Amino acid sequence: MENNIDTIIGVNVTLKGNLYNKGSIQVNGSVEGEVKSDENIIIGDSAKIKGPVIAKKIEVSGEVIGTIEAFDKLEINPTGRITGDLKAKSLIIKEGAAFVGKSLMPSADAADITDVKKEEKDKDDETEKEIDEEISKPADKPESVDKLGFFSKK
Amino acid sequence: MYYYIFDIKRCKNKSLVTDIKSYLSALGISGEFTYPSTAYTTEELVELGISKKYNTIVGIGSDDLANSIASHLCGRPEAMGMVPLEASPELCSLIGAKTWREGAENLRYRKITNMKIGKTANGNGFLTDLELGLKGPTEVTIEFRDYLVQAKITKLVISNFNPEIKKIGPDFLDVVFESVAPEQNVISRLSNFLGLSKEKQNASFSLFRGRSLRLFTSSQIPLTVKGQQIAKTPQLIETSDEDLRLIIGKKSSILQ
Repeated sequence: MENNIDTIIGVNVTLKGNLYNKGSIQVNGSVEGEVKSDENIIIGDSAKIKGPVIAKKIEVSGEVIGTIEAFDKLEINPTGRITGDLKAKSLIIKEGAAFVGKSLMPSADAADITDVKKEEKDKDDETEKEIDEEISKPADKPESVDKLGFFSKK
Repeated sequence: MYYYIFDIKRCKNKSLVTDIKSYLSALGISGEFTYPSTAYTTEELVELGISKKYNTIVGIGSDDLANSIASHLCGRPEAMGMVPLEASPELCSLIGAKTWREGAENLRYRKITNMKIGKTANGNGFLTDLELGLKGPTEVTIEFRDYLVQAKITKLVISNFNPEIKKIGPDFLDVVFESVAPEQNVISRLSNFLGLSKEKQNASFSLFRGRSLRLFTSSQIPLTVKGQQIAKTPQLIETSDEDLRLIIGKKSSILQ
């Protein structure tokens, strides 16, 4: 991610309110409020954000309690912990990261739904075919079952 | 045309005064020379120069002189020039002159840029950096327009111009500070000492931008420009509404 940063919130720094920047933002401290950028937001290991995070690209290595919206890409690193819903065009969740919430990928929605429906239809057709084949098979001889004693009683 | 305010205290030897005057004459930009004293302060001399219809007021001296002149000329049509003597690297970088000779040559070419200056509520201005005079870790609250920032800090600089900080706009002040943990126990301190702390050293630096900010501390702390106090906390600090017409050289960082 680019390092042309306009605002840096250092460790042990608390920001209360809404931070909006045209340039990139790096968060290493605590924020209570909205963090919004037209460029990138980098959330460091020591960062804790309670509020929505909105930017073009977002990289999460710290804790976020709130919704995250990345117009381009969202990357959650192994130390990242998110409690809230995600909306991102591209999403990368690395092993070890924690995410509790729903995720939505807006640009891929239409295509994905069509694909899913097509796959489901194909699956249904296959299942129907298998059932038909099963039905058309000759029935098992009752003797083999009878050995187990299920049909022996009259 | 040129009205010089010469801070001769900055001249280590008396021959330098003569040298500078001779050099300015040789460049064809000689004018009236005045000297701040108890009888006439810098501010009074600037007013005198304006009343005498000089269109360029030049300071020969350091940051304190430059800031005093800038505070009075901001928003006025008269241009400000600066011949640096014992000036800070930031001021030298702004005017594009490391030596008094380079400063004098800039005056001859008279390349003027319009710029904002930083101002405190008491009317004092600063061209470069304003520093909070901290003696140890101190809790501060900085109130910007849409948010406020709280931290325990060891150093704070409010910069109107600093070549090391890329400005996002001409009317933005850059606030840089170094924060420390509110309370550190023995293990944390040992961890820091041994370099085992997960927090990187540079992660303790913060950078904020704003046209206006209010700075609060639990007790009054001086705000200084190169060691000279110009205000105290709590203080409103903002960029000037109007421009200063400053003569700069080709090497000025403001052009980059």
